[in-house]
This record gives sequence, C-alpha cells and structure tokens, in this order.
Amino acid sequence: MTQDARTLLTPDRVSAGQAKIARVVSDLRRVIVGKEQVIDEVVTALLAQGHVLLEGLPGLGKTELVKALSRLLSLEVRRIQFTPDLLPTDVTGSHILQEREGRREFVFHAGPIFTNLLLADEINRASPKTQSALLEAMQERRVTTFGETRPLPAPFFVLATQNPIELEGTYPLPEAQLDRFMFKVDIAGVERSVLEEILLTRVHGEPPPLTPVLSASELNELFGLVDAVHLPRGVANYIARLVAASHPGSSDAPESVKTFVKYGASPRAAISIGVASRSLALLGGKPNVGFDEVRRVAAPAMAHRLVLDYAARLEGWDGRRVVAALLEAVPEVERGLPRTLEAR
Amino acid sequence: MHEMPALVRPVLKRLGRCLALGLFLDIWPAWAIASLLVSGTVALVCRMFFPSASPVLPWLWLAPILTAIPVLVVCVRRAYRPAEVAALADSLGGGQGILLTLLETNDPAWAESALIDKAAQFALPRFELRRVIGTLVPAIAFLAVALMLPQRVRSEDRSPAVAQQIAADLTAAVVELKQQELITPAEEKKLEEEIERIRRGAEQKVDASSWEAADALREQVVAALSEKQEAVKWAQESLARYAAAAEAGGGEASASAQAAELTKALEKLAKSGLMAGAPADLRALLKGGALPTDPAALRALATALGNHLAEANGRFGKLAGLGEGFGRFDPAEFPVEGASGPDGDGLPGRGGVNRGRADAELAWGKESALFDKFKSKPLPPGAPRSPDDWAPVVALPGAPQEAAVLSSQSAARQYAAAAGQSAWRRSLAPRHQSAVKKYFETTVKR
Repeated sequence: MTQDARTLLTPDRVSAGQAKIARVVSDLRRVIVGKEQVIDEVVTALLAQGHVLLEGLPGLGKTELVKALSRLLSLEVRRIQFTPDLLPTDVTGSHILQEREGRREFVFHAGPIFTNLLLADEINRASPKTQSALLEAMQERRVTTFGETRPLPAPFFVLATQNPIELEGTYPLPEAQLDRFMFKVDIAGVERSVLEEILLTRVHGEPPPLTPVLSASELNELFGLVDAVHLPRGVANYIARLVAASHPGSSDAPESVKTFVKYGASPRAAISIGVASRSLALLGGKPNVGFDEVRRVAAPAMAHRLVLDYAARLEGWDGRRVVAALLEAVPEVERGLPRTLEAR
Repeated sequence: MHEMPALVRPVLKRLGRCLALGLFLDIWPAWAIASLLVSGTVALVCRMFFPSASPVLPWLWLAPILTAIPVLVVCVRRAYRPAEVAALADSLGGGQGILLTLLETNDPAWAESALIDKAAQFALPRFELRRVIGTLVPAIAFLAVALMLPQRVRSEDRSPAVAQQIAADLTAAVVELKQQELITPAEEKKLEEEIERIRRGAEQKVDASSWEAADALREQVVAALSEKQEAVKWAQESLARYAAAAEAGGGEASASAQAAELTKALEKLAKSGLMAGAPADLRALLKGGALPTDPAALRALATALGNHLAEANGRFGKLAGLGEGFGRFDPAEFPVEGASGPDGDGLPGRGGVNRGRADAELAWGKESALFDKFKSKPLPPGAPRSPDDWAPVVALPGAPQEAAVLSSQSAARQYAAAAGQSAWRRSLAPRHQSAVKKYFETTVKR
C-alpha cells in the first residue's frame, strides 16, 4: 500500500476556515433570500478561484448577489453592461495618445476588467469579438494590448449573467468561452414564502447593510486552505471516470450520453470539479474531498461544458439532466460491490 | 488497514470479510454450475455407455464443492485491496472520503473526529442469495435427473451372461437326465454339442431366436423322453401279455407272437439305452434276444423286467417337470375337448374360464343351430288395389250414396289407358310423336 506523505489540514485550521466562509455565506443568505444552493455554488466557485456564469430571469438577484459579495469580501468590483456595440477595448482598455511634457505618447488606460470582481452583465449581448476579449483574462488572468501583457489584480473573478429567454439580438457564448467558467449556476424563481419574506423585510427592495467580513489576506489564506484539502486517489479516479464517461465514444458512457452528447467535457472540467470539490469540502468543514462533494459540484461544473446534439433539444434533455444520468451510471468506486451484495 | 483508527478498524474488517464472501459467491456459482453441468453430462454418458462407472457416479456431487478450491485461489488473487475496501466503506457511509484519506495520509489528527464516527456507522451490504440459488437450482436438477436415470445395459454386454444362463439351464436338464440314466452317452454328447451351439449363438446376439432354440432343444429332449416312456409302457404291456399267454397256455402260435412282440419291445428299450442300467441277471436272461420258455424262469424274467421297467417309469415320473417353463403351449394344461369341468369344456364360445385351446379350429355350427327351425314361406301374390276393396267405416247422415259402376279391372284399364294417352300427349312434342310412331311401325313390319 502506497502512503501519501502529505499531512491533512488540522481540525483547527479547517474549523477556522469554515467559520470565515460561513460568515460570508450567512451574510449572503441575508441579502439573497431563498437561494441557498446558488449562494453555496457561487461561494464554492469563488473559493476555488473560478468564474461563474449566472443564468436566470431578470430580477432574481444576480446583480445583487455580486454586489453583496464584493462588499463582504472588500474587493474592488466593476460592472460591464454588455451590449452589441461594446468593443473589446471597452473591456480591456486601450492606448490613448496623450501629450505629456510636450511629447505625445500612447498611454494605456486600463479597462474595467482590471478589478477583483467583474460583473459581466448580460454577457451574451456582446459580439463574439468582445466576448473573446475575456478569454485570456479569465484563463490566464492577464490582458495583452498592443503587444503589452498586463496582469490582472489578484484575486480576479468574473461573474457573468445572461438571460435565457431574450435570445433575439444575443450571441450565444462559444464553447471556448463557456469552458472558462468554472460553474454555470441556474437561478430559478423564488417561492411564495420567500416573496413574503422579501416583502416584509425590504420596503424598496434594498438589501440590508453589509460590512466586510473577509480581508484580501484572509481570502488568500482561504485559497491556500482550499488547495490544501486532500483529494484521495479514489475520488480523483471517480472524477476522471465521470468526465471520461461524458464523451459519447467512451465505453463507460451511458446511453443518454451516447444519444444526446456531441462532445463531452474537457480536462478543464475535471480540474474544475476537483478544485470545486476541495472548496466545497472546506465549506463543509472537512479536510478531504469525498464522493459526495464531487456529486454536488458535477452538475454546475459539467453541464455547460457538454455540447449537446439537436436530438437532446428535441427530447427535452439539457446538460444538467445528462450529468444526472452520468452520476447515476458511473459508480463512485471503480470496483463496486460484488453482485451478490446489495447496499442498504 | 492496521494504520486506520481503532474506531473504524473492526467495521472495515467486517466489510472486508463481507466483500471476500461476496466475491466468492460471485465467482463460485458459475464454476459450480459448470461443474454440475459437466458432472451431469458425465453421468449421462456413464449411464448410457459405461455401466461399470455406475457405483462411483454419486461422487459427482462433490464436483461443485471441489470447484471451491480453484475459486478460492481466484478470490485470493482478486481480493479487494485495502484502498478499495476503504473506498467502498466511504461510498456506503455517505461518500465522505475520510477513510480513503486516512488510509493514504495516515494522519492521526482526525482519528477522533466526528467524521470518523460518522464514517464508522455505515450499514454493511446485505447478501442477495436468491439469484445465486436461482442459477444453481437448474444445474442441480440436471445432475440429479442424470443420476436418477436407470443404467442402460448394452445388448453385447448382456449377451455372455444370458448365453451362460441359457446354457446352464439346458446343461442342468441334461445332468438330471444323466443322473436318472435316461439318456445314452451318444445322446448326451449330441445334446452337449447342441447346447454349446446355442450358447455360442446367444453370445453373439441375444434375441428371441436364442430362447426359441433352447425351447426347441427342450422339446426335443421331452419328445425323446416321451418316446422312451412309451417304449417302457409298451415293454410292460408286452410283458404282461406274454406272461398271460404263457400262463394260459393258449397255443404255440399265440405265445410266439407275444414273444416276438416282447422281443421287439425289449429291443426298442435296449436301443433307447434303458436297458443299460438293468440288473446283470436280466441282461443275461435277455442275452441273444431269446425268451425263456420255462414258467419259473419266465416268472423270474417277468418279475425282474417288471421291476426294472417300474423303476424306469419312476425315473420318468421324477422328470415330469422337465417340460415346464418352456414358455410354450403345453397341451397337458388344457382339458380334453368335450370334458366338462369347472373351467369349462374347452370348446370355444361355450363360456367358462377356459375357452379352449388357442389353436382350436373355429366352428360356428352350434351358434347357428337355432336358425334351422325357420322355414321359407312364399308370400301370396300381390294384386292391384281396387276401389271395390274399400269399405265404408261409417256412413255420415246426408252423405250421397254412390254405387260402383265399374269393375275393378275395367276401371284399372281405363285409368291406365287414359293415363298413358295423357302422358303420351304431355311428354312428347308433336314433332317427336311422328318419329316414335315411325320407329314402332318399322319394328312391327320387321
């Protein structure tokens, strides 16, 4: 038996990290009522230093969630309202000819992307050219203009929103762009009880006042804790099998994948699941990743990365349903129970 | 596994044992089914072609048990590794992954945590044995049926034993005859040769002809015995007549005739070998075929011969059962035709248990005797019905009284003529009437 020389996070460190995250989550739940799962997924992605694509109807609190997050984390936040005429330089910034001390020279004016938390509102309304301006920034956390590469401030998150119903005049995000989002979080409508709660607690809909609960150093410390969460080999094997089975050509692929999926999830999906599982484990006060965390993050991490066939649309299958079928088909442990044994 | 916290070590061991047993039950049924099917096939083959293997066939039930040995070897080679056991334990316990983590990191910091408590409380999987049993039952039934089948004995294997049995029965009869001194050495040799021939034939192939040949030989022996018995009876009767003639002194001619008959009878007796066992004085007396004329010597001869013949007749009595068991028709078992008895009179169709011999001639005369009393009587000649034959049953008041104006014959003729003319007119078209007339006119002229 091979033994990993790594040591686990101590219970104290895990508890301390979990408490800090719990404060953020608690305050977010005060702002966004009735969206516990959405908040958990967004916080999980942030702790994993991943970008999030929020998809939902207007008025469900997407922008408010991002604003609340920026206030709690004392991060610099900027918002770009994506429109069809938005240019890439409107995002990244551009060089402007300026006169300085009698000389004219190009001076770089940083765009709104140079921030910690970027809210890309209605990202699918910008042209693909503008959307692609985000590719390098999201993946490599830097911007190149006029041959000059400038790093983005750390941490850097993109929280993009898009409206699923107003498709006229929109440009669906290309697969390469979608792949750079760690999670795609679907924001569903609110229940009646939640609406009552909102009406009783907010007169004009303004959120409760928030104070920062995490400094930049504490956030960096949390990032370190997330990275230190142990990922057992057996769980990593589960993630690998899960992603591999999302390809229709795989022998382990279930029938739904073979029927409805054109292209499976990328290795980036596996990396995202791994790090998001670490983040979720820390959120749950655990020093390690388990199968349960993988199952919980699989849908938001993989669903938007699957390229579905037209047959899926006709049959009413979406990415989340395919991922659910994948989770059903792929066993957690590669060598499962003997056939004569049945789990209770 | 020893590095795991003490809290989870027992449950991991239990899970490991459970998995090992489950793995065995996963692999073994296929082997057991294969062994049962092979054993059943072997049993079937042995039942059909190898009778000598019949006593050891029940040991085939050990085959599925013996397959457990290689299955155990396979199980050891495919045994669940500790990491796999821990992974399964984690999966069964809610997928926390803490057991896998502790197995990999061996970090004691979390050994007493609530996570370990929770991980140790998973329920062991339960065995699903119905499928195993369901797959085994048909194979077990196959072997059981194969073992329950009767052993098939091939005819060529059975032939020597049956041939020996047939020959032994016949030889026993010959030995019996020899002991009773009822056959001559030549006859004995001939019978032995015949028995040997039957035995060899039966060894090659046993069928109905083997038994028929044995029966035929027995019948031949019985016939020869009957002939000898008849010779003894003839000799006894001839002796009695000769003695009576000698004592009566009826005449020279009569005595010589009786002596010649007795001589012939004794010669026949000698030919049949029945005189071989006669006393020496009797043989001396009969030497040369001359009968004594002295009354004393004659009486002595008659007494000695009578005793010898009685003894020979007694030996025949002892062999009375020799002809039984032939499986053929024995006339003695059936009553003489016409003799009435409790089982019937032996005639077919007369009732009773015994309907007579199967080869009796079929006669139907008695059954048809009752019909003899019927005599043929010619019926009176018929006469055409006439209205004169009618008689009124009752005369209603007011009914018209009509008297007959025509005799019956004239009325019939008139009616017939009228009927013919009307038929003539009705049936023939005018163009045909001339043709018919012409035909009949031609016939009359001719």
